[in-house]
Amino acid sequence: MEAVEEEFLAEREHVQIIPNFSHDKLYLIAGDVGPFVAGIPCSVPLWLAVNLRQRGKCRLLPPAWMEAEALAAKKEEEMQTKVFTKMGSENYMAVAQLLLTTAPHDVPNAHLVRTLIKDIWDLRIAKLRSSVAEFIKQSGRHARLHHLTPMELHSVRPILPSALDQLLRLGAAASGAHNVSLNDSSMA
Amino acid sequence: MKMADITDDILSASDDDESQVVTAAEVLLKIESLWRTERLSPTLECHQSELVDCMLDQITQMNNNLRRCKKTDLRLAIHRMELERVRYVVASYLRCRLLKIERFTHYLLEKHGELDDPSLALLSPQELDYAKSYAQSIESHFNKLVLRHITHEKLAEFDAKKMSVVPNMNGYVFLKVLKDSPGVLISDQVGENADEEVDLVAGDQHLMMYSSIQELLKSGHVELI
Repeated sequence: MEAVEEEFLAEREHVQIIPNFSHDKLYLIAGDVGPFVAGIPCSVPLWLAVNLRQRGKCRLLPPAWMEAEALAAKKEEEMQTKVFTKMGSENYMAVAQLLLTTAPHDVPNAHLVRTLIKDIWDLRIAKLRSSVAEFIKQSGRHARLHHLTPMELHSVRPILPSALDQLLRLGAAASGAHNVSLNDSSMA
Repeated sequence: MKMADITDDILSASDDDESQVVTAAEVLLKIESLWRTERLSPTLECHQSELVDCMLDQITQMNNNLRRCKKTDLRLAIHRMELERVRYVVASYLRCRLLKIERFTHYLLEKHGELDDPSLALLSPQELDYAKSYAQSIESHFNKLVLRHITHEKLAEFDAKKMSVVPNMNGYVFLKVLKDSPGVLISDQVGENADEEVDLVAGDQHLMMYSSIQELLKSGHVELI
């Protein structure tokens, strides 16, 4: 998977918009959305929200986890613990990125929110990298990944799986060589 | 194929869920997850041509409906956009499968021949044709280009077995557990220490070898992420 494909899938997540037009229900393949009533919030997939916003047909309502206070608390929580905390959204990075680039004026304290999201991302990625290093050193064969989001996993792919793969091959080759040498000595 | 036929197919394939009507939205979700799995899996997964055909039918139907719409209709642009998204997923899914078929041609043809149960077939009939004709063209290409000029009898032979690329079943994958599955065996390929057992709890995410969870992936207990 590419990062853009992760983002593509993240665009299915629903967000709230306030439309400035009225329209009946839309029967999309992925499910019905609407009806749209001007001024009344309704929930639509992110890709549609972005499109409508770009055409000036609505205002975006950022989700609750994207408020500056909530993010500051999350950042604090993330700093306090060694493990990963559960994020407000599986796709927080993609959603925040899309909302902030499409409509920075619809997000209160957009600048602060952007910094906080980046801080949280950096904290988590640093944790992820150090635990990956630890994992490889211990030559583990299995890892639990609590609360890691697809985009974060993407950042260690393909390097982590293929590194483990190479280790496995080296290990197999080493033990193979070991066996061969044993055979040789037993024959001598 | 109509949606009802698909429903029948899916119902007959799985025993645990009864009398569910499969909506277009569910088929789409399923295809999106298939796409993801196919992109992340080291080998080719079983074909799901019923689902793909059903989605393609939906696309054509929707396209026909849209033709009746007025150009200025707000709905037109939105539906168009969604159709493009769906088409992209389906196309990317099929293309990804074709790439794998070209890569593992001989291995897949061999595996396909070994299967008795048609519901577990790796290749759809069309994909099977493609794989066969691909193998054929490669062989005739090699023959035309080099092999016929070689006088040595042994060297001039085309051995498909030696050409075949085998997928790495021990490749590591990220996965998410959908249904509890206790006692998953992580076999020790190196042979230094004993095998390990892990209990997979629904909702958890793991990193492990593809071969350990291949069966669970087929039965829908886990999904690749």
